[in-house]
Order: sequence, then structure tokens, then C-alpha cells
Amino acid sequence: MLLLTSILVLAVTVLSIPLVERVLGRNTGWFAAAVLAALTALIAAQAPQVLGSGEALTYSVPWMPQIGVEFHLRMDALGWMFTLLVTGVGALIMAYSTRYFPPGRRLGFYLLMTLFAFAMTGLVLADDVVLLYVFWELTTITSFYLIGLSGPGASRPAIRTFLITALGGLALLGAVVLLVVRTGTTQLSTILADQSWTQDTSFTALVAFLVVGAVFTKSAQFPFHYWLPDAMAASTPVSAYLHAAAMVKAGIYLAMRFTPAFGEVLVWNTALIAFGLITAVVGAVFALQQHDLKRLAAYSTVSQLGFLIAVIGIGTPEALVAAAAHTVAHALFKSALFMVVGLVDHEAGTRDLRDLGGLARRMPVTAGIATLASLSMAGIPPLLGFVSKEYLFAGLLGAPGGPWAGVLAGAVAVGAAAFTFAYSFRFVHSAFFGEPRGKRRAEQEDVHEAPVAFWGPASLSALGGLVLGLAVPVLDPLVNGVSQDTTGTAAEAHLLLWHGFNPELAMSALAIGLGALLVWRTASGDSYAGRALLPVDGPSVFERIHSALISTGRRVGDLTRTDTVAFHLGTPVVVVLVLATAVLWLGIDIPAPAGQTSRPLDWLLVGLMGVAVLGAVLTRSRLAALALIGVAGFTTALWLFFLGAFDVALTQLLVEVLTVVVAVLVLRRLPRRFHPVTRKRSALTAVIAIAAGSVAGVAAFALTGRRELSSAASYFLDNAPEDTGGTNVVNTILVDYRAFDTLGELVVLGVAGLIIIAVLRSTDLLPVHQARKPSVPVTNPVFEAVPNTVLMRTVAKYLLPILVVWSLYLLVRGHNEPGGGFIGGLVGGSAFALTYLAASSDAAARIRLAYPTIIGSGVLVALGTGLLGFLEGSFLLPLHAEIPLPGGEYFHFTTALIFDVGVYLVVVGVLLAALNELGLESGDGTDRAAPPPSPPGTSGGGNADETAPSSEGSGATAAGVDTTTTGGAR
Amino acid sequence: MTLAVTIAIMVAGGVYLMLQRGMVRIVLGLLLVGHAVNLLIMSAGGVFRRDQPLLGINPPDWAADPLPQAFVLTAIVIAFSIVIYMLTLAASGSDDDTEDVS
Repeated sequence: MLLLTSILVLAVTVLSIPLVERVLGRNTGWFAAAVLAALTALIAAQAPQVLGSGEALTYSVPWMPQIGVEFHLRMDALGWMFTLLVTGVGALIMAYSTRYFPPGRRLGFYLLMTLFAFAMTGLVLADDVVLLYVFWELTTITSFYLIGLSGPGASRPAIRTFLITALGGLALLGAVVLLVVRTGTTQLSTILADQSWTQDTSFTALVAFLVVGAVFTKSAQFPFHYWLPDAMAASTPVSAYLHAAAMVKAGIYLAMRFTPAFGEVLVWNTALIAFGLITAVVGAVFALQQHDLKRLAAYSTVSQLGFLIAVIGIGTPEALVAAAAHTVAHALFKSALFMVVGLVDHEAGTRDLRDLGGLARRMPVTAGIATLASLSMAGIPPLLGFVSKEYLFAGLLGAPGGPWAGVLAGAVAVGAAAFTFAYSFRFVHSAFFGEPRGKRRAEQEDVHEAPVAFWGPASLSALGGLVLGLAVPVLDPLVNGVSQDTTGTAAEAHLLLWHGFNPELAMSALAIGLGALLVWRTASGDSYAGRALLPVDGPSVFERIHSALISTGRRVGDLTRTDTVAFHLGTPVVVVLVLATAVLWLGIDIPAPAGQTSRPLDWLLVGLMGVAVLGAVLTRSRLAALALIGVAGFTTALWLFFLGAFDVALTQLLVEVLTVVVAVLVLRRLPRRFHPVTRKRSALTAVIAIAAGSVAGVAAFALTGRRELSSAASYFLDNAPEDTGGTNVVNTILVDYRAFDTLGELVVLGVAGLIIIAVLRSTDLLPVHQARKPSVPVTNPVFEAVPNTVLMRTVAKYLLPILVVWSLYLLVRGHNEPGGGFIGGLVGGSAFALTYLAASSDAAARIRLAYPTIIGSGVLVALGTGLLGFLEGSFLLPLHAEIPLPGGEYFHFTTALIFDVGVYLVVVGVLLAALNELGLESGDGTDRAAPPPSPPGTSGGGNADETAPSSEGSGATAAGVDTTTTGGAR
Repeated sequence: MTLAVTIAIMVAGGVYLMLQRGMVRIVLGLLLVGHAVNLLIMSAGGVFRRDQPLLGINPPDWAADPLPQAFVLTAIVIAFSIVIYMLTLAASGSDDDTEDVS
């Protein structure tokens, strides 16, 4: 329960920040600090249970039960230690932030900082790998925003940091997925307790490799170490909390957490020890080189993290004791040092060591804090840093792989520790002692000590190192608990300041001696600082790799970057051909046909189709091609009818008619003939086309029609009348079973209609093509539109109401007999197409219905019906009612019918849009005013040679001589 | 067999038209390929059962698979909306030519 409380309290704190910050401004830190301090006390009070009895606190609640992910929280000694670090150091930093920033609003900062505290607490308490991963990424994201908060200059560092740590996040995700798939559980403690998966050595090595990737990127290990100094673009409280005490410790935590599984895996040991020690040395050497106090502290963090990783890599109980102790020590002294950097920066106006010096006289308290923290960092008794470093040495001496390995590890560690001593000395000496230096010397005279509220948190942190150093045995239960949790063996360690003369003491002494020598030879680092040790630095290497990746991606894209449509259309076809060839090459087992698939009459359709397609391919006349494709469409409709799909055949038939009508409206704006292509190209496309056709035919023959009726089909056929009250099974599928599909389709259709309107509002239609203009004298009777159209108009006049009524009848009966919303809508649309084609002029042809509204209302009707379904439990569930009719009969009413009305409306609306938008001369159905109409029949001639004849006589739809018009006045 | 031959013819013709110059031919090719795919979906339901799935008229014993029919019905209407949209594009702008070179 306590675990849930902690998480919830933090979550509520995050949510309340916007409100609190409005009142308190920068002092919001006090509020956050109070919450975190209270949590720290609460968690510290659990010590008797967690450390004393060794029983972990747990809490769990189902989160995503379908995939077995639960909100498991668990706090053992390891979790307890890290939670305390997060909340304790967090409280200090929050309090410190109140004085670090100038007065004013700090919403983003506090929101993100508390969010980070929440994420980090969740991370160290999570006992579910999915949860762990989510919190892990959340820390990465908050870090990105917190760095970016510092202004435009911080954006590249923020991105670099983010990409590196996100890379590690991906590695962690990979490990998580592998573990969940292999073990079948997402609970971390179960995965770690059940070690059966570690028997598979290659699998274990892979997971270990991925976890190492996550650890190294998060905890800034070589070669990813450079992101940490890079991230110093963030404000100092952010650096102190995320990049010294908490976030970079997430990698340490993960490494310790997975020690039970990987503690004896060679890849793990080798990688951690080797790279940890390299990082320790690299970080320490670079730290001594820095002029900037903050970068010095950052490189020092890198180095200390390297020590921790190396000692975790040893994997023995003693080593883990050292890791635990040093984690605590480092969190204390490093957060104090970062806060000191902020204090110096704030009061002296710079953190460049070349411009500092002698600050101890002006800022005695800050100097004291810095000294205390640095002594701990350098490993000088009686501070906690001394004790933890002694144990680090002892742990490293126990490196696996024989005595020489231990000696080598110890020697490298002593080297790094010597540099640690040197840069610790440099930190304190160059800033606080000696004479003021540099160009800011004059200004150093006015420097004052910071207010107590500012240095207070830092002093607590630094004093913590001293107190815990003097009373180091109080840490015994903690370090032993951690060793129990990570290695399964209690180390029975008794931490002592003084434990006699032993190799570790000698190593400490040697490190201090060498360090002192280093300080002396390099004038406390000055003669050595700023010199480039390597020809490249991390960020520039990163940028080079980054831009190389981007340009590689662009080059890959260039392979297919062309405006030639045919290339884009042809590539997928060719790829399918290649795949099909591969399948044919390999061969597949094909079951026997499930029944007689061919009937003699079918060959008629095959022949019809062959003729139509051949003609369409060969002709160069647009109109002929359109007509032949129309024939192919009608043949398809016949095929559908042959196959027992009456509704579909009807739909196909109607769509075919309307397609031809719309196409004709377009064709008259285009040349008569198709654009010519070269003979070579025709041959190539013919080869591709024939191959594609053959493959499609073979696939259709070999891969379909070789099984009995599918179970879904049987279900529909057996249950449709009972489930839906309809006997037209296809229609019941459309409006009852799979109404959601239909709704989606409806929306696509409606959007297509709206896009047509939108495109033609922004681009003008082509004028009617010159070649289509009449070349006969204007006195010719074909120009007399009104008399010419009288037959069609009369027919249309009487047919329109009949067609509309019939379409409504088709709509209503669709549930039981052929018909339904689509067919009804298409018939209704054809009625309008007929009146349209029969009209004698543009003005008469225009259908004055607000078709966008019709489309929209259709979608709304369908959606509304869907929402009605919630009354009975789910979206789009049809409701049924028996309505009594006079005579004792009942009419079965279902809301599926209303849904079908929505379908009907959308279909009609889209057809109206197409006719009106494409049909009128200007291409604009509503907006543009037509020229003043002349009296019908009187002004036929005179303007036949204009580019865009607009008077009635030669109007678009009535242009009887328009060679493409199939209906109308002809 | 017959349906497979029909599909082969339609796909060949459709692909040929799609790879030509000019939006209108592309649209016509797409129409053909669309029809062919619809027939392929019907074929997947099994073409040896060819009775109408209208249970008020026929018993379900030899009724065709209704699910592909519903899919194809939907597909026909969507293909129609795409075709009229593409035709609109062909008729706006300058010409329906899709290539710069002659």
C-alpha cells in the first residue's frame, strides 16, 4: 500500500504543479521539496521491514490483463536504497531550485522535475518489465525536455542526449520482449527468480548484450560517455538531479537488478568490468582537463559511474556491497558539488576556473561544502567516499579470471583514483583558494556568500557524507540487503572506517600519493587543462554519424525518387512477379478443387471479356477505350450474377453506368486520342502485363476454390435470419454484422465526394477540348438544343419520380431481398444522371440540391444509428422492434434500416457532386454565376468558335455534337 | 478455371493500361485491375456454390459464400469513388499527361 501511495502522491504532485506554481512561482520548489521529504521519511520508516526482515513490500493491480501485464510494484533493499536517493536528493534539489532561479514563473521546470521524480521512483519500484520500460523511457523524455528548457543553444545537446539514451531504451525494449516471450511472464522478480532461461547461453548472452546497451547509454559509459558533459547545457538543478544523482543511476540500478541473472555470464562480466574501468579512467583524465567547473563535475560523474559499473561487473557479494555503498556516497557528494557549481556560478558570475580563485574568503560556507564533498570524492578519511572507495578496490581485486585480472583491474582503478584525487583538488583549490585570477578579478571583490536557503541543501548533502562516514556501520543492513537481493548471498559485511592494514588501504594511499604527485606536476591541472587529448570530440562524432545516416537515407530514397507515374505503378507489379516466380520455383502443395468450378456458359463471359480487354488495350481513341472498359465492367457484372451474387452484380451494373457517365463528362475536356508512347515501351509493358496476368490467373486457379465453405460463411448462412431478422445475407453482413466496415466505407465515399468539390474549387477544370467542338455551320439543326432534347426530357420527366420511388423501395426491402442502401442510392443517383443528361442547357441541368449537406447528413445518420446501438451495449449494434400493422401482421423494424438510409444519402450525395462539379461548363456547380441565359432556342449560333461557349445553345450537356456524349440530345 | 482465365485477361489488360501515359488510361487500367481483384475475392469464396444467399428464396445448402460478396460490394463502391476522384484530377490542371517527355 505504501508503494501505491508513494506513486500516487508523486502523480498528484505532478498534476497539482500547474496550480501551485501559479501562486508560488519559483517557490514551488518548497512545495515539491516538502512532498519529497515527507515521502523520504515515509520510505525510510520502512527500513525495519525491508532491511530488517528482508521481506520486500509488494503491490499489484491488473493493468493490461489481456496480455498479462500488471502494475506490479516491489520494494526490496535495492529498491529502497534507490527510492530514497530519488526522493531524498530530489527534496534537496527542489529546495535549492527555489533560490537558483530568479523570481518568476517556472512552470515547465517544476512540472518536468516532479514528473521526473515520479518516473524515476516508478522505475526503481517497478516489478513488471513492461512497466519498467515505460518508466525508463519517461525519464529519457523528461531529461530531453529539461535540457531543452535552457534555450535554443541547448536544443542540439538535448537531441543528442535523447537519441543516445533512446537507443538504449530500444535495447531495453528488445531485452524485455525477449524475456517476456521466453519466460511467459512480465513480472520482473519472477523472471529473475526463475533462472531456467539462463541455461540457454546464446539467448542469455543476447539479452545480456541488450541490457548492457541500455545500461551503458543511460549511465554514460564509454563510448557513449560524452552525452553527459554534453547534457550540461541544462540548468544546474537539472544536472545535479538527473545527470548526477538520479537518472544516470538508472543504468546502475538496472545493472544491479539484473545481476542475479547475469552475475556469472562472461559477456556481462567482461563488458562491465572492461568498459567500466575504461570509462573510469577516461572520465577522470578528462575531468582534470576542464576549465569549466560544471564540465569537470560531469566528467567526474562519468568516471564514478565507470567505477560503479566495473564493480557491479565483478558480481560477487563483496563487490555489490561496494557498489551499494559507493552509490550512496556518490549521490551525496556529487549532488553537493553540482549545487556548489550553481552557487559559484550564481554569486561569482562565472564557473570558469581561469576566472575564479580565492572565493573562500568571500564564500566561506560554500567553500566548506565544496571541500567536504571533494574530500569524499577524493576518498579521504573519514568521509563516506573513503570507505566506499576502499570497498571498491577490494571488490575489483576479486575480478574473475584469475589473480592477474584482479591485479590489473586494481591497478587501473588506482590510476583512475589518482586522477580523481587530482581533479577533486583542482575543483576546490582553483575555485576557492589562491588569488583571484583572470579578467573578472575586479568583480570578484563584490562577491558575497549565498543566502542560507541557497546553500542549505548543498550543506545537508555534503554533511551527509561526513556523518555517514563517521557512522558507517549504520549502512551495514542496507549493503547486506542489496547484496542479498542482487547475488542471493548476504555478504555479512561490516563497513568500517578503519579495518587494519590491508591491500585496499595500500591502494588508497598509493592513489592519494600519485594524485598528489599529479597535482604538483601539473600545477593542480592548470598546465594540462584545455589541451586536446584526442583529435575528435564526442558531439562532433555523433553529428557526423547522424548526418551520414540522414544522407544515406536520402540516397536510399533517391533510388525511387521520380515523377514518372508509370515507374511507381510498375514497381509493385514487378516485385509481385518476382515473389510469384520464387513461389513457383519452390512449388507448393495444392489440394484438389472442392467442386466443379467451371460451367460451360462461363466460356461466353471469358470470350466477351477477352474481346473487350483486347480492344481497350489496342485502341488509341479515348472514347472507344472507355466504351470497351464499360463492356468489361458489364461482363464483370454478369460474372458476379453467374456466381450467385445478385446484389453485387446489381451494384456493379449501376456503378458501371455511372462511371461511364462521369467519364464522359471528363473525356470531352481531353484530346480524342491517347498520348503516344514508343514501340519499345509498349513491348516492355506488354511483357510485364502478360506476365502479371498469367501470375494472377495461376494464383486464382491454384490458390482459390479448393476448400469447403468457410466457417464464417456457414455461420452467416445459418444464423443471419435469427440474428438480424433479415434473409438477404449479404445485406445483413453489410448493415448488421460488419456495419463498422460499411461505416468506414461510407466515410471514404463521402470524403471522395468532398475532395472532388475541393479540388475543383481550387483548380479550374479544363475547358471542353477544341477537337470536340462542332465543325458544322451554326444554322445546322443540331444547335437547337431545346427541340433536340424534347424526347429525352419527356422520358426523364416521368422516369425521375418513378426511379426515386423505386430506389427507396429497393432501400427498404434490402434486408430481405436484393437491394439495400448502396443499390438504392445508385438507382437514385442514376435518376439524377438521367435528368442531367437530358437537360437542354447547363442552367436547366444544374441540380439545386446541397450535396455536401446530403453527404454529411448521410454520415451523421449512420453514425447516429451506430450510437443508438449503445443502448443495447455496443456501437453499431442494431436494435429491433416489431411494429404492429393493421390486419394483425407485424413489420420487423431494425435500426439497421436507418443505417442503410445513411448509406443511401451518401451515395446520392457523392453522385450529385460528381455530376454537378464535372458536368457544368465552368466546372463549378454552384458558385459561379452563369452568363445571363438567352431565350431558349433563339441564340443557338454565333458563339460556336469561342473557346468556352457558355450560352445555352452550345452548353456543355446539351452539346449534341459533343462526340463523347452518349446520352443527351443526340 | 474459367474465372481464373477471366482474371488473367483482366489483370494483363489492366496492368498494360496502367503503365501507359495519361491519367485516363491509368484510371481505365485501375478499373480493370479492380474488377479482376473483386472477382478474385469472389473466387476465394469458392465458385462451385453458386446459389444466391437469399434465404427467403433459396435454402442455404448451395448458397454462395456471402462474406466475399459483402466485401466486393463495399469494394466496388470504394473503387467508384476513387475512380471519379482520379477522373476529376485528369480533367483539372493542364492535361492528363503524366509524363514530360513525348
